Amino acid sequence: TRPDVTPLPPGTHLLFSQSGKIEHVPLAGHGLEKTQAKALLHIPDKVVIGLAFDCVEKMVYWTDITGPSISKASLQGGEPIPIILTDLESPEGIAIDHLGRTMFWTDSIRDVIEVSSLDGNQRRVLIDTDLVNPRPIVTDSAHGYLYWADWNREAPKIEAAYMDGTNRRVLVKDDLGLPNGLTYDPQTSLLCWADAGTHKVECMNPSLGNRRKVVEGIQYPFGIASYGKNLYYTDWRREAVMVVDRPAEKNTDEFVPQKRSRLYGIAVASVRCPAGQNYCSVN
Amino acid sequence: DATLGTASDCKPCPCPGGSSCAVVLNTMEVVCTNCPTGTAGKKCELCDDGYFGDPLGRSGPLRVCRECTCSNNIDPNAVGNCNRDTGECLKCIYNTNGFFCDRCKDGFYGNALATNPAEKCKACNCSPFGTVNKGTSCSQTTGQCTCLPHVENRDCSACSPGYFNLHSGLGCQRCDCSAVGSTN
Repeated sequence: TRPDVTPLPPGTHLLFSQSGKIEHVPLAGHGLEKTQAKALLHIPDKVVIGLAFDCVEKMVYWTDITGPSISKASLQGGEPIPIILTDLESPEGIAIDHLGRTMFWTDSIRDVIEVSSLDGNQRRVLIDTDLVNPRPIVTDSAHGYLYWADWNREAPKIEAAYMDGTNRRVLVKDDLGLPNGLTYDPQTSLLCWADAGTHKVECMNPSLGNRRKVVEGIQYPFGIASYGKNLYYTDWRREAVMVVDRPAEKNTDEFVPQKRSRLYGIAVASVRCPAGQNYCSVN
Repeated sequence: DATLGTASDCKPCPCPGGSSCAVVLNTMEVVCTNCPTGTAGKKCELCDDGYFGDPLGRSGPLRVCRECTCSNNIDPNAVGNCNRDTGECLKCIYNTNGFFCDRCKDGFYGNALATNPAEKCKACNCSPFGTVNKGTSCSQTTGQCTCLPHVENRDCSACSPGYFNLHSGLGCQRCDCSAVGSTN
């Protein structure tokens, strides 16, 4: 059976998953065009957890825990294309290095971070130690960095490493609860996270370490994405996408989809890729 | 198709409780877009993540979607805690295991259903010297490890009275003390 694929009009969109569905909302400047919200993809027998967007080929990538599988589909329409179907148990976060043409994902049962090229070839385990509940993972393509978080209730942490797994280090371990969501904004070099345990969104520049709180008292964040001055996070309890104005440090808007159920991964489908190159893109 | 001008142009959505549906553009397939809480699927025939059952009774008697509770031995922050159809628990914590996280995993003993996590499942910690084949598992309920001959204690860590040499790994040997030269 073919899933529903609604081609996206040009412009930047917010994509988010609601178990067997990937929805999109167009972004107009910093506002959400809520009336234009639509399902991009119906895959009702799947549970989509993580989302990532490849700005080069305009494809959305996702992890599904029922297969389990990693698949992709074009924003311009077309069927989902399965990429990885073996040796997955609970794939959750997924990130793309658009320059190196690779993808990274976490698996919370196998407790690993893996990498492969975007077609699923050249797959290998990058990190397999000291992981308990790894979930979100993001890339800083221009600098070849990888960031991920582990919501291990005994010792939650946010870590960094080069994209080849070397130079691994713990960035944040104090005053963390359940860091479910992580996002990196190349424009401002800010790494921001959404924590369902401390009920805060916080940001820091990973090379400066200047951590600061953006909002607190939030309900149950799962995924987070950044675009311009805004942060967008999905919330399990509100069953909505929440908009945060980062510099103003406040919630400014929310989008409640018609279907009431948990929202999982979130990603921005931008028209242009951020500038830069890294050595994976050279070789 | 509402433009044909007949009374049957619009058909009701084949979704529970008259909830909404949409037609897939390229296949004309109908997909329910607002399944009731806990259900999912094209016709709301599946349970959503965190629930299990068979809401339309497709493979036997109808079972409404219930939350996976897994004997309270799962973490609510985890995804995919149970199989959406059978309810088999997939992410047991507190050293529990089993279909409903209702027993201790291998190498642990106690009461998986205890309310306090600290009282749930404790490590067997069998003594490697006193246990048959250096076993690491023990009785689920009592925690008794399988001791070698003349070895005692729950964890097989001591010789029976009158026996010595636990570290031989073959069981303890009789002391064979001379009745004349020993104090008792």
